Amino acid sequence: MSATGHGAGFVRSRETRRMLLPMLGGLVVAVYILAPFCWLLLTSFMHEQDALSVPPQWIPRNPTLSNYATFIDPAGTRAIVGSRAAEQTFPGMVNSLIAATGTAVLNLVLGTLAGYALARFRFPGRGSLLGLYLGSRVLPGIALIVPLYLTIKNFGLLDHLSALIVTYVSFTLPFTIWLLKNYFQTIPRSLEEAAFMDGASWLQMLWWVLLPSAFPGLIAAGMFAFMTAWNDYLFAVILTSTTAAKTLPVVVAGFATDVTTERTLMATSGVLAIVPPLALAFVFQRLIVQGLTSGAVKD
Amino acid sequence: MRASGIGYERRTLFAYLLNAPSLVAIFLLAAYPIVYSGWLSLHKYNLKRPRVFQFIGLDNYAAIVSAPEFWSALWITIQFTLLVVTSVTVLGVCIALLLNQRFPGRGILRTLILLPWAIPPVVNGLMWQWIYDSKIGALNGLLVSIGIISEYRGWLSNPTSALLALAFADVWNVLPLAVILLLAALQKIPAELYESARIDGAGPVQLFRYVTFPWLAQTLLVVLILQTLSAIRVFDVIYVLTAGGPGTSTTTLTWKTYLTTFETLDFGLGNAYAYAVSLITFGFALVYFRVLYRRGDFET
Repeated sequence: MSATGHGAGFVRSRETRRMLLPMLGGLVVAVYILAPFCWLLLTSFMHEQDALSVPPQWIPRNPTLSNYATFIDPAGTRAIVGSRAAEQTFPGMVNSLIAATGTAVLNLVLGTLAGYALARFRFPGRGSLLGLYLGSRVLPGIALIVPLYLTIKNFGLLDHLSALIVTYVSFTLPFTIWLLKNYFQTIPRSLEEAAFMDGASWLQMLWWVLLPSAFPGLIAAGMFAFMTAWNDYLFAVILTSTTAAKTLPVVVAGFATDVTTERTLMATSGVLAIVPPLALAFVFQRLIVQGLTSGAVKD
Repeated sequence: MRASGIGYERRTLFAYLLNAPSLVAIFLLAAYPIVYSGWLSLHKYNLKRPRVFQFIGLDNYAAIVSAPEFWSALWITIQFTLLVVTSVTVLGVCIALLLNQRFPGRGILRTLILLPWAIPPVVNGLMWQWIYDSKIGALNGLLVSIGIISEYRGWLSNPTSALLALAFADVWNVLPLAVILLLAALQKIPAELYESARIDGAGPVQLFRYVTFPWLAQTLLVVLILQTLSAIRVFDVIYVLTAGGPGTSTTTLTWKTYLTTFETLDFGLGNAYAYAVSLITFGFALVYFRVLYRRGDFET
């Protein structure tokens, strides 16, 4: 009786000891990831003079929601210090959401078509096509910006979200095609063939059979496209100029370089800029890794 | 049945039809601009004197390679890229291995690791600017309070620490992508391989060397490619954090291209710089692709 009790205790403590090292490592990683972000988050709940204090207040002594309130009501009490910043943040966020969602959706449509062809058919030029897609991904944005600017100007599409979306699609599409091609290749052909036997058209098969089984791959590819579009600054700052199309990074950078804007307000806008992509990343975390497991990493 | 039922020619046609929209997008927005950019780089074209558009052959390139700023920017780009790529790869492998272990809190950590990915580089730059601040920064506050340094320092005003600080901020931002790619690769390794290796008496180092590493190699190369390319083209975080300074200590080739094009408004010279960046990235990519190709991983 006592012997088994002792044995179980021994096993448990050995188990605990084996867990200890990874848990310690996990703690270090968690601090590394969280510490810088928490500083930003805490600053957004501080009064300006507290944010400027030396030594820093690690925990705000007088936490406040006034920074967030400023964004909800830009014409309110702090109108002078942060009205421009606050006014532009919500239009910026809407623009960013449209640009990023549009980019993701277009990516999935174009990427599914191209990825399907590359996954299922052997045809002349297939290798060159793959090489071309990968090659275009290699071009640095800074090399494309001037000609793109001139072209988009000629089309009269400067300061239009559509120009931004199309630009982002061209950057993200190669990765999407590559990922979806690999994912489609992991789906057994027999599923498709069964659908065709039942008299489904190609499009019906795609919609009812292939795409549902490729769901994690689609989510992963869509997320990558969304993040690229959401995070971009270089193209957005060159191709947009007013709140009609300015995205959130442009707005945030705009008051980052404006010395009159209060630090706490900037921190708040930074936090607001993170919320939508963060929510998506957290919701889809499992699916993203699953999508990549089959898609980006091949056997 | 159906797919193999239709003729070879029709299948080829269908395949190209499916690729057509993507090809149009990429030609219009990547192939055409890069050719156009090359054409501009062969001209004298400054927006301050917009009427002068004169073909000057390779003169812009000659001007670049004889300018010390180019070599300085190239050297800084190489240092920055090496710093970022090495750190991201090493940290990425370590964290991915950790997240592949079973321990309490793993699920939370797997979600948490995505946090920096969701932060736009501009916001990331802003965040680190305050952390590094010489008067009220959190880093100074922390290091002084635990007694590592005795007085506040200007982390971004010293050339060496500015480059390190910039690299550190960028690594934090781009690390999640490497981690989730590597984690996805690790999850594909069959558990039986570890079991049989353990039965054969393999220790942790041998397990990594003979089981984990071969399965990870292809993804590691992909991570190396993606990280090298993104480190060479890094822009946003420089714009917010250091603006290339102090002096030119964080002026990478991409930043130099931006300055020449949009501050000096010299589109001819700026595009020559842009082309130089493209050629360098292309060179890197070719080397990587060759390695992938030789390993037989490229074509599926």
